[in-house]
Amino acid sequence: MRTSLQKKTRIYMAVGFSLLAVILVAFVISLTHLYVYDPNSTNAAAKLLPPSSDHLFGTDNLGRDVFARCMEASKYTLLVSFCGVFIAFVLGTLLGMPAGYFGGITDKFIMLISNSVMCFPGILLALVAVAVFGPSLFNVVWALGLVFAPTFARVYRTGVIGLSSKEYILHAKVLKVNPMRIMLLHIFPNLVPQLLPAVVIGLANMTLFESGMSYLGLGVQPPHASYGKMLADAQSYMTMAPWLIVFPALLLVIYVLGLYFLSEAARLSFGGERR
Amino acid sequence: MEQAKYIGKRLVELFLTLLVVSFLTFAAFSIIPGDTASVMLGPNATAEQLSALRSQLGLDLPMSVRYLEWLKGAFTGDLGNSYAYSQPVISLITDRLPVTIGMSILSLLMVLLISYPMAILSGRRPGSLSDNTLSVFGHVLFALPPFVLSMLIITLASAAFGIYSVGRYVKPSSDFFGYLGCLLLPSFCIALPKIAMTFKFLRASIIEEKASDYVRTSKSHGLSDVSIMFRHILPNSTVSTITVISLVLSDILGGSLIVEQVFNLPGLGRLLLAAISRRDFPLLSGMVFYLALITVLLYFAADIVSALIDPRMRNNREGTL
Amino acid sequence: MNIAEIRNLSMSIYSGKGVPALILDDLNFHIREGEILGLIGNSGSGKSMTAMTIAGLLPESAQVTSGSIEIDGKDVLKLSAGERRKLLGEEIGMIFQDPMTALDPLETVGKNLDEILRIRNIPKEERKSRIISMLETVGFIEPERIYRSYPHQISGGQRQRVLIAGAALLKPKLLIADEPTSSLDTVTTVSILKLLKDICIEMHMTILFISHDLSVVNNFCDRVMVMKDGKIIDSDNTEDILHNPKNAFTAELLTKAKLDPRSLGLEFSEVDPSGSPVLKVMDIATAYRDGFFGRQRAKNTIEGISFDLYPGEVMGLIGSSGCGKTTLAKTICGLLKPTGGNIDHCSGKVGVVFQDPVSCLNPMHTIRWHLNEPLVAAGIKLTKEEREKKILEAIKAVGLEEKHLSRYPGRLSGGQRQRAAIAMCLILEPSVMIADEPFSSLDASSAASILKLLSKINRERKTSILLISHNLRVVRTMCRRVLVMSRGHVVEEGMTEEVLKSPKASATKALIDAERQLS
Repeated sequence: MRTSLQKKTRIYMAVGFSLLAVILVAFVISLTHLYVYDPNSTNAAAKLLPPSSDHLFGTDNLGRDVFARCMEASKYTLLVSFCGVFIAFVLGTLLGMPAGYFGGITDKFIMLISNSVMCFPGILLALVAVAVFGPSLFNVVWALGLVFAPTFARVYRTGVIGLSSKEYILHAKVLKVNPMRIMLLHIFPNLVPQLLPAVVIGLANMTLFESGMSYLGLGVQPPHASYGKMLADAQSYMTMAPWLIVFPALLLVIYVLGLYFLSEAARLSFGGERR
Repeated sequence: MEQAKYIGKRLVELFLTLLVVSFLTFAAFSIIPGDTASVMLGPNATAEQLSALRSQLGLDLPMSVRYLEWLKGAFTGDLGNSYAYSQPVISLITDRLPVTIGMSILSLLMVLLISYPMAILSGRRPGSLSDNTLSVFGHVLFALPPFVLSMLIITLASAAFGIYSVGRYVKPSSDFFGYLGCLLLPSFCIALPKIAMTFKFLRASIIEEKASDYVRTSKSHGLSDVSIMFRHILPNSTVSTITVISLVLSDILGGSLIVEQVFNLPGLGRLLLAAISRRDFPLLSGMVFYLALITVLLYFAADIVSALIDPRMRNNREGTL
Repeated sequence: MNIAEIRNLSMSIYSGKGVPALILDDLNFHIREGEILGLIGNSGSGKSMTAMTIAGLLPESAQVTSGSIEIDGKDVLKLSAGERRKLLGEEIGMIFQDPMTALDPLETVGKNLDEILRIRNIPKEERKSRIISMLETVGFIEPERIYRSYPHQISGGQRQRVLIAGAALLKPKLLIADEPTSSLDTVTTVSILKLLKDICIEMHMTILFISHDLSVVNNFCDRVMVMKDGKIIDSDNTEDILHNPKNAFTAELLTKAKLDPRSLGLEFSEVDPSGSPVLKVMDIATAYRDGFFGRQRAKNTIEGISFDLYPGEVMGLIGSSGCGKTTLAKTICGLLKPTGGNIDHCSGKVGVVFQDPVSCLNPMHTIRWHLNEPLVAAGIKLTKEEREKKILEAIKAVGLEEKHLSRYPGRLSGGQRQRAAIAMCLILEPSVMIADEPFSSLDASSAASILKLLSKINRERKTSILLISHNLRVVRTMCRRVLVMSRGHVVEEGMTEEVLKSPKASATKALIDAERQLS
């Protein structure tokens, strides 16, 4: 049974990485400007062209090359999801660790704040933050970070409470090790099994959120390309030019799916499932 | 007695949470860069016009006074008039509520009705063909953003078969089943990824509970696998999945804001976008607060439900709030 | 007359593509009507699997490859799944190791037991009266209250009684008890064994008793079988198994189970009770508070505890589980704040060694890191060489070697880990060490070496030790004085000899009785 579990983990990991490879190639292309078309250059003569050897994914209603725009969009998707998760992770650490470690009134207070933030439907909070402070890439990133912070705070808190009764943590307390040191050196390494899947799944969720916001026009702002915005624009040409929907949607789903499989692999490899 | 105490405890927490939620909502709209009055009047406004509008809107009062006023308004359903629509905020919201709430309820029903049988089928024999098929299916569903799913479904339904027209909406008061029919497809799009999520947690929980000692005890009592599944495993897995379900609810509410945009339905999502684009802050803060209020109450309900199922919860364990 | 007849029974577990693992290898034995048959073996020897095979509760991956199981004349392997299920409860009753989780936490005790009768279509009123009277039979004074209680509201011993009531409810002929006492303390163990024996006689039941621990077999089983690697390697009456084992493995099992501290030749430091104590505990009380409303929990709270510990003294602290021993230890070393009273460490340091060798060290760090950590925490400024020298000294003092320093806890045995934990304690040269059952989860030989180590530390460094243990034999040889705790209070204290010879408190008497029963 153990071997079949490991086999499943390996399969998940392989699928996850190969799916992610697609988006990473796209990312690299967008950085190196290897591709002949500029993602933002319009061409009135080449509107709504179907996929061909010239334009791999076809062109949109302004004659922009969809392949180039997808590459560009993948860049922002990666940027937003990684930066956002980083902010959420740091905030979650700062909130969740002390809450779980100190317990009592500290815990009550922190969890009250964090739960209150969780009570705003995530997408609403991010939308309003961007609406109030203006839609810029920077605002999108920190708003998403804020929305996701309570999730990480929870993972931390639960994990820390679970570990607090372990004898090695009790021993560290008896030795009067600095609480900061206990949290970072004694507890943190032991939380990696819970944190790693949470981080990967956070990347996936944040990508979904960002695409939703962009779809509503409040995420990554034009002229920069983003999957959500491309899909929103494509909606009017749904029947006329389905390639405008198919390719961005496919890439978006591949990225999220890849992350999802990786998080499953991480969870399984740390023994997250009993068989 | 025990239960009353537990509910009392939760009520205190509910009250505190509402206080924080209301304060956060209010504060977010009070620290806006740029002055609301000058935004409304545009760059050519004179100083007198500005101060007149400010005192008319109450913007010249101290923050604490404004917060208390706002709080009172929020709980009495009087959040003033929308800048953009010149109508009471509350009536604007209640007008659109049937779409969003209806979709949320339908989605939740779909999530529960589909994910439970899936999880039972899957968790019954982990590693079997049906389990693996369902699991892979679940993974793929999870990765589909609701709005992409909506677009795909609309493309398929309306283009290929011509049976679905986007933007059709019937009021529940005129034709209830027509109303449900309009919401069915969008609700399904919201529900699908959430089905995947609930399925995943429930399946893991069922597998875990299956290995627990009380299941072995029941087997030794002579119970069949089926009755053990329904009498013991499912209630216990539900307890650990309730938190996930309450998170799913909040996501459904958020998801419907986007999906109704794809389906062009006159719900809160469209109102929200209008309010955002016109910087209609009274309307915006009202919507944010009431949506959060709904979520808080849902979490509270989830806590009560799990306490009803789980006697240990009533004694000491902590709830979602 | 044999109630069960097992012939040529073999069972394998299939996993993935690999060769199936042979779990039970050609078992042949019988269970006589009315006897208590012990089945002893180490974990993984196949003893629990034997029980599961007889009951028909094997996992799906397991398959009986040959043989027959005859119960009351019927070959149960030939029965359909439904017929076998019917056998459970009616012909075969079962109880298991961990009563903590063996009842559905969401249902009351009554409901948990009700299902046995419900699936057999017995009317509601009769079901309740039968359960209540069964609860009475297993020794509950208020069966109605227990019937209405949830599993988390009753103690471990009570839960085990409930499970016995469930297993015996339909008066099965055979009761399979799979390590029913392993997670209970000695006093409760004795009472559960007595209950099993009583209902065995009263209800004419036969018991197959499975245990890894030979000490519970005495005075309880009529016959004992010893299992190793899926085979029964020894079978005899209890008397002979315990006193003149014919099989080498049985003999080895016996020595491993018996920790006899007297034979270790332990020597301890001289104690001068007229000197100034190294630890003064004055009238302390500790209560757990329960969240918002500040309701006090009765369990584990301690009150009015005072004692002095002198330099070089080893003092014992005994009591049944839940009496507050661990709470006291945690309070003394500063993990819990006392709600009243005073603890004077008399300018010395207090070190602590906990019970569990698995979680006593952080799995993500090396032993060297562990030994360095106390030095960092105490803020001792040392050069790199001095530090390394101190670490080396400490690791050698506990009988480990330099090579162990760079290892992670996962690569050490339980005994080695416990030694490393002691080294962590020693590196700060404490004047008092609190040892909370430091050897209870180790086998006898590792435990003996830990005892030797503790006595050496005491002798050579004059470190005072507060030894918390449930093992009276250890306390008898190790400790000069002893404290007996019950329900959060010290009920008796004095020189170990006197207290154990002529106990005054009933809690002490119960402990001594239990010890005698299980020896």
